Amino acid sequence: MSPNEWMIAGMGIFVLVCAVAVIFSRSPIYGAFGLVLCFFGMAGLFLAWSSPFLAMIQVLISTGAVVVLFVFVVMLLNLGHGSGGGVAGWVTVLFASGGIWTLSLVLLRALNRSPFYPAPSGAQGAGGLRAFSKLLFTDYLWPFEVLSVFLLAVVVATYVVARPEAGNVARKENR
Amino acid sequence: MDWLDLGLTFVKTLAILLTVVNTVPIMSWVERRGAALIQDRPGPNRVGPLGLIQPIADFVKFIWKEDPTPANVSGVLYTIAPFLSLLPACLVLAALPVGDHLVVMGREVRMQIADLDVGLLYVLAISSLGIYGILFGGWASNNKFSLLGGLRSASQMISYEIPLAIAATGMVLFYGTLNLREIVLWQEGTLLGVLPRWGVVLQPFGFLLFLIAAFAETNRLPFDLPETEAELVAGYHTEYGSMKFATFMMAEYMNLTTISGMMVTLYFGGWHIPWIGDSQLLAWFGGSRNILGLFQFVVFFTKVTAFLFLFVWVRWTVPRFRFDQLMRLAWGRLIPLTLLNLVVSAVVLYLVEGR
Repeated sequence: MSPNEWMIAGMGIFVLVCAVAVIFSRSPIYGAFGLVLCFFGMAGLFLAWSSPFLAMIQVLISTGAVVVLFVFVVMLLNLGHGSGGGVAGWVTVLFASGGIWTLSLVLLRALNRSPFYPAPSGAQGAGGLRAFSKLLFTDYLWPFEVLSVFLLAVVVATYVVARPEAGNVARKENR
Repeated sequence: MDWLDLGLTFVKTLAILLTVVNTVPIMSWVERRGAALIQDRPGPNRVGPLGLIQPIADFVKFIWKEDPTPANVSGVLYTIAPFLSLLPACLVLAALPVGDHLVVMGREVRMQIADLDVGLLYVLAISSLGIYGILFGGWASNNKFSLLGGLRSASQMISYEIPLAIAATGMVLFYGTLNLREIVLWQEGTLLGVLPRWGVVLQPFGFLLFLIAAFAETNRLPFDLPETEAELVAGYHTEYGSMKFATFMMAEYMNLTTISGMMVTLYFGGWHIPWIGDSQLLAWFGGSRNILGLFQFVVFFTKVTAFLFLFVWVRWTVPRFRFDQLMRLAWGRLIPLTLLNLVVSAVVLYLVEGR
């Protein structure tokens, strides 16, 4: 294996271990910490796949802003003090990690066969940022915009699902 | 990439890191003497001439002091939090260009640890991670004051990252690149033959907005709400003592240095001096790239030092904001103004240069 492949393999294992830690840590703040490491590993993967722009955006948005908000909410509600870093029973962890590993191998296989891998030539490696931006605003503009509309739909859907029902609100107000 | 390259990179990393780490004790002296100067009192003046040996005395004290761990803190996070805030401050240095290049054994060695294509994004991304040390430190201390400090820090830093990034984007429109080295090279020469071709000349207003956001990002007065002594005792580092506390202070001063380095790179021409180009200087130094490189290194850090003094000066001059005022300033004033700055720059660039 080339050094780059070793890096991808190492980063992949790191990401998976962190993801397992996120799911099974009993304290939400340790889970958030695992998520930070997981996203950092993702950025490392993007770097190994010669997409430095994506790696930096991953750190800037996911790690630098999104997880900070998670931690903010956890701290605001002051959840999970005292159970400090405990994890679920080892049998559960073992079986669930097995499931996650299988799933990720399937995903990796699918990704390798998709037309999006490898990245378009010219948009990779050093000096590719200009080419990358040009592609993003020409050939990939339509998928990009569709994705952003999709994300907007997700936001609205989350609100609809999580919103307290009208009846409940009225009852609370009457009380 | 062979062993010589690897060795040179190691030496470069060591040189830049040590320079910046050494600003920490010097800044702790400048901060206290500067405070004393502004408040018309002597300041620390007992240890050595002008109290210059004071930082070494402090260092010895921090090393030998007992390192207490309060009961009921969250063990692992409590211990690693100071390092989580120090680490990003060190990592950001990798992208800052402190000079053009040296020639060592016939090779061109750039005076920058890593010449990244996405340099500006790298700096913004990594410096946004510094918040985790404060957040986890505040949470793991199991103390209401620390928790409040951490919470304030989270909302403040997320809010001020936005105007900081948008103000920098305004400059990127002019430079047409995110590579910090190319940004500095662009700023050589003069504008209309009179003014230096620096970012601050092109966008004085954008620079002002960037400066304000930088003060908030580094938790300095007038925006040091996460650690207000009067309301929160000391905020997120209330429960920390000895070297762990010193690590938080180191992170703060290193963040100051890196953000000053960013301002020098983006707005003040990096290693350039006004009106005199690199080729002219090279001729004066007898064609020696290495002397020119050292000169550029000194120029860069002189500019950084000027900004560091500005941070101290402002800290002891301006009173602290209230938290709601701080938030209103970010979302109500800075973000609309930076957006306006961005739109106006784009329109002007389109009209003048047609791109």
